[in-house]
Amino acid sequence: MVVVYTKIVFLEVTYLISKVESFNWNGLELNYKEETVGKKIQRKKNEKVSNVELSEDPQAAQLQAKSSEKPNRKKIQKGKEIKSSPADGKLSGKMKKRKEKVGNVDISEPILEAISTEKVKEKKGKMNKTKKKRKAEEITRSSVEDLKRESKFKKSNKKKKMDMTSKKENKIEEEEDVYQISSGDEDCTRGMKKWVSDYYEGRPGLDELQKRIDDFMTAHEERLEQEKQDKEAKAAEGGWTVVVHHKGRKKTTESETGTAVGSFSQAALEDKIAKKKQSEPVAHGFYRFQRRDAQRNELLALQSKFEEDKKRIQQLRAARRFKPF
Amino acid sequence: MEADTKTDSRTLKVNDLLKDARLDYDSLRKLVDDTVSSIKEAIDGIPEKFQVTSELAPSFVEDIGADKEVEFSFKKPNGFNLCGSYSICGMAKPDTSVDLLVHLPKECFYEKDYMNHRYHAKRCLYLCVIEKHLLSSSSIEKVVWSTLHNEARKPVLVVFPAKKLDQFPGFSIRLIPSATSLFSVAKLSISRNNVRSVTADGVPEPTPTYNSSILEDMFLEENSEFLKKTFSEWKELSDALILLKIWARQRSSIYVHDCLNGFLISVILSYLATHSKINKALSALDIFRVTLDFIATSKLWERGLYLPPQSEIRVSKEEKMQFRELFPVVICDSSTFVNLAFRMTSVGFLELQDEASLTLKCMEKLRDGGFEEIFMTKIDYPVKYDHCIRLQLKGKTAVSLSGFCLDKECWRLYEQKVHSLLLEGLGDRAKSIRVVWRNTNQDWHVESGLSVLDREPLFIGISVSSTEKAYRTVDIGPDAENKIEALRFRKFWGEKSDLRRFKDGRISESTVWETQQWTKHLIMKQIVEYILKRHLSLTSDDIVQLVDQLDFSLNYGGKDPISLSGNLVQAYEVLSKCLREIEGIPLKVSSVQSLDSALRFTSVFPPEPHPVACEKIDSRRLQKLIPSCIPAMEVMIQLEGSGNWPMDDLAVEKTKSAFLLKIAESLQNVKGIPCTATEDNVDVFIGGYAFRLRILHERGLSLVKREIGVDPVKHVSSTDKMLFIRSQHASMINGLQGRFPVYAPVARLAKRWVSAHLFSGCLAEEAIELLVAYLFLTPLPLGVPSSRINGFLRFLRLLADYEWMFYPLIVDINNDFGRNDEKEINDNFMSSRKGYEEDKQNISSAMFLAAPYDKASEAWTSTSPNLLEQKRLVAYARSSANVLSKMVLQEHNDSVQWECLFRTPLNNYDAVILLHRDKLPYPRRLLFPSELNQGKHVARGKASRLFNPFMSPGDLKRSHEELKNKLMVDFEPTKCLLSGLQEEFGTLKPWYDHIGGDAIGLTWNKHNSKKRERDEEEEEEEESNPMEMLKAVGEMGKGLVRDIYLLKPPRFV
Repeated sequence: MVVVYTKIVFLEVTYLISKVESFNWNGLELNYKEETVGKKIQRKKNEKVSNVELSEDPQAAQLQAKSSEKPNRKKIQKGKEIKSSPADGKLSGKMKKRKEKVGNVDISEPILEAISTEKVKEKKGKMNKTKKKRKAEEITRSSVEDLKRESKFKKSNKKKKMDMTSKKENKIEEEEDVYQISSGDEDCTRGMKKWVSDYYEGRPGLDELQKRIDDFMTAHEERLEQEKQDKEAKAAEGGWTVVVHHKGRKKTTESETGTAVGSFSQAALEDKIAKKKQSEPVAHGFYRFQRRDAQRNELLALQSKFEEDKKRIQQLRAARRFKPF
Repeated sequence: MEADTKTDSRTLKVNDLLKDARLDYDSLRKLVDDTVSSIKEAIDGIPEKFQVTSELAPSFVEDIGADKEVEFSFKKPNGFNLCGSYSICGMAKPDTSVDLLVHLPKECFYEKDYMNHRYHAKRCLYLCVIEKHLLSSSSIEKVVWSTLHNEARKPVLVVFPAKKLDQFPGFSIRLIPSATSLFSVAKLSISRNNVRSVTADGVPEPTPTYNSSILEDMFLEENSEFLKKTFSEWKELSDALILLKIWARQRSSIYVHDCLNGFLISVILSYLATHSKINKALSALDIFRVTLDFIATSKLWERGLYLPPQSEIRVSKEEKMQFRELFPVVICDSSTFVNLAFRMTSVGFLELQDEASLTLKCMEKLRDGGFEEIFMTKIDYPVKYDHCIRLQLKGKTAVSLSGFCLDKECWRLYEQKVHSLLLEGLGDRAKSIRVVWRNTNQDWHVESGLSVLDREPLFIGISVSSTEKAYRTVDIGPDAENKIEALRFRKFWGEKSDLRRFKDGRISESTVWETQQWTKHLIMKQIVEYILKRHLSLTSDDIVQLVDQLDFSLNYGGKDPISLSGNLVQAYEVLSKCLREIEGIPLKVSSVQSLDSALRFTSVFPPEPHPVACEKIDSRRLQKLIPSCIPAMEVMIQLEGSGNWPMDDLAVEKTKSAFLLKIAESLQNVKGIPCTATEDNVDVFIGGYAFRLRILHERGLSLVKREIGVDPVKHVSSTDKMLFIRSQHASMINGLQGRFPVYAPVARLAKRWVSAHLFSGCLAEEAIELLVAYLFLTPLPLGVPSSRINGFLRFLRLLADYEWMFYPLIVDINNDFGRNDEKEINDNFMSSRKGYEEDKQNISSAMFLAAPYDKASEAWTSTSPNLLEQKRLVAYARSSANVLSKMVLQEHNDSVQWECLFRTPLNNYDAVILLHRDKLPYPRRLLFPSELNQGKHVARGKASRLFNPFMSPGDLKRSHEELKNKLMVDFEPTKCLLSGLQEEFGTLKPWYDHIGGDAIGLTWNKHNSKKRERDEEEEEEEESNPMEMLKAVGEMGKGLVRDIYLLKPPRFV
């Protein structure tokens, strides 16, 4: 049991640390909140709460993280989730409950804190010891300046060395290794749930997609215009005066035929090529040296081809002998 | 000039071939002499005047039908002679058998022993005495019985000496009795009856085959001397003999008892030499070609070939007429008494002429003068014939009802009977029918008699003339007014015959073969089975027809989904029409073309109509098991030209998406066709199918300008380039499958095989289509495949035997390629191989497939298969080809063996991921559930409840709109897992089945680091790496991954 707890704590701590790296200020808040969430999880496990309720809490935590990062997408995501699972009325009910819980957490923080302090006192001494260990671990990890992957590997190796000492622990580990993967229905970041969610999220409807494309094209054109102005500004800074003598965009293709400005149309090109082809036999072999060169080139080509064939046969012999049996 | 280069290359190869095939006679001579001395010593030890009776081989004597008591006093042979190809230096490896003539003494035979098989019985008893004494000799390891050209009444002894030489494995000496001057030649003329039981209505009939059988033995010595004289001091002639033997041995249909053998090849060469058709200035290869041309085209065969007589005796016209009437092929020896080709049948000779013609065509048309195809390619029954049949006739007394040996042996008569029945029954459906019963192949002893010689199955090979004739359902017989013919027709067909009135008013006898549209390839099977059961009293267990044994792999829900392709084509046409008629978008749709293989009938599992993906949902159809996924078929559209496209690739793609959304909106609002869309795709639902629209930008047309020779002025995006290539490929393959109806099923089988063995990532579907197309476009030295098993076997052999590293594979779909094109392709190929020559590991692609639209092999094989993948692919193909050939030829009648072709072993990978079968989008496509019980069980995963391959009953009760939203288009969790693997785990190479497999094989990619020494800590890290890595893989595939096994840890350099 102790091993299980430590592993779970380990995973959570690493998760928190990674978050801290990306968002310094917000991370602090997240850190505080998620600690409380973790405590809730622990309590529920102690009280033997059902799996469904357990699966809700990580999603709530993720919702908090996402909400802090990008507040504009809150509505969109909620709407998507509702659309993605219209069949299950229960799920929608649960989602409503989650929202309420989130609201409660935000509003009545001091109350929860007070409750937590009271409950801590009521717990047994063993639990206090585990908490102390966790706090110590957190302090040591926060104090480390560089959290590299190598160090993580080393720690994991050390743990494994410790585990190798006793056979019982080995057996426990083997069983745990084999049975470790859950169905993933509570994990939005990977697995089947991610793929199904991505599928439905990718289909918001024709209107929404049209809007996205319009936004992209608008931004694209603005970017091009900005680049153009920057170029003109640079030229002006050098003391030059930008001459503006025409309005509208530059012509690149003739609108009627689709031919690029300054290039021939396809029909003209074909005519040119046809003429060239017609003139070839006249020009070919007009001078004696041309005829001699042609003959010599032909002989050289044949010779080189023969050499290539010979080389190829040698390779074939090296790779496989000529045996029809 | 190119012909000279071709000839030079072929000459080099032929000379190398001859070096390998020739025997070293100096080393062989001592071994031969020693063995012959041992044989002579053993025979000298036999006591004279020893009384020999039929008790030595009573069954043989009784079965052969000798009418009197056969006994004689033993006397030593008159002499021994080495003959055959050893004496003329014409032996070709791996055959190391030397022929030794044993001259039978005259004292052992009476004057009239040529009658009623007495000679054959005494001949056999004489060999029995020799065998008994040879077995007691210490210099001889074993003695084995065999026959002279599959003639059971003329057994021979094969002696294996105790001494062995490594360079001559399997060396043996054949003891062949010769009967020089035993009988009067006049008594054995071909018009005389020498087997009294051969009568027709009580009148004795001539026994030409029986007489020739004895005459052959009488003139063995003379003919051997004749050949020695002809071949002596002519090295090129011996070499030509070797070449012809190699060529003939590779072709099972002509190296048979009723066609060609080494002796007859020597005789034909002697004829050409003595008639000045070849001279000593010619090389071996030239002699080879002249001989084949003579066989294929000469008119002299109609009159018969007559070797120059030794004396002044001339063959009279009457005798020549007799020969021609009684034998289909005549090669009269120099004694003018024996037709050396008396065993050859007209069917065998026609087969020989066809093969010779095909070989000459190979020499003209193919690369290196067709060296590979003529000498190195095995052409056995499974690849030669489209329809292979085996008849199990063991214990059938009908075969030998009239006796084992009459003029001909009963097995030869049965061959003829089967052949004539099938010839009449199949009519013009069959181009050629070959019936061969090699009934003396197995270990046989003369003491067993002749009754055991029906153990081997009788083989029937049928070449289909054309698929439209073969797939015809009604055979029209004679008119009702023609009563004689009508009666004969009814008698032949029995209850199948039916009197019918046709639309043109004709009333005829006819037979009707009912079948489904997708099982037309089984019509000939029905006909054959019906005929053989009716006329030969065989049962279904006796007839094994190899036609549909592989169809199980293409079945889906109990039948072939290709049968519903008509609906698919209709839906596509509706879509095409709607797209062209569309209004309200800035640019009009100018052309619509399908890119998916389902619309060219080469998809392994074309989609079935989905009841939800329709304009209007019919509630009555929702009671079935409804899939929750539907595959999307890509359709490419082109818009009319415009100069207002943006220049940026990303902006172009966004503009295309905007166009597609407009099109979807218009289809939805105006036509009522439901659509769904993502940022990259638009899917349209018509008639139960989902079509995914793609737009080819007009600048893609500049690819066409390459053919004109002008470089494209503008950059062509890779998306448009790939779309263009795929459209070219789709249109060409569609045309090809229209020309060859068997192409599509063969391509489907090939794709199924490639996927079943987890090679989906190595060989693209389009590459497989090109490989199969090559079989139909360049079929030499065979004809075009006309059956599924035949085509599939040739695909496997092409994959296994082609020299991929040394030659490009040129697929000329419309006969577009000329000399310049081939030169361009070869230059591209050589440049792609230069990197390989410098560094063997530096190879981008191991397979070069040139097509009219892709002369640099960039479309489908630019990155895969690499060298390692190709080696693995070749190994699997070779193994499967061998298994398939064995099953066609040998006795395997259960379906388990056939399933092995598509069941891949999972122990050839470093790690294996097993998926939950009920979480695959199309679980019924899975051929064999995968299980693994070796290696270390690393991880186990639970199945997700969020996805099911079928809609739940609760879903079906909801509204139709919600059902449509619920439907998932082109959703495949396996694909998602694989893309994640390739992104995050670069050191793992996945091997997968994209059609619907439940297993993924993983192998470690090789490390390129040159550091060989590392710290212990780092080693420990990396030792634990694979386990952690595989666990991470399992985490990535949550809900889909069932088990992960580690079979082999990675090796670090």
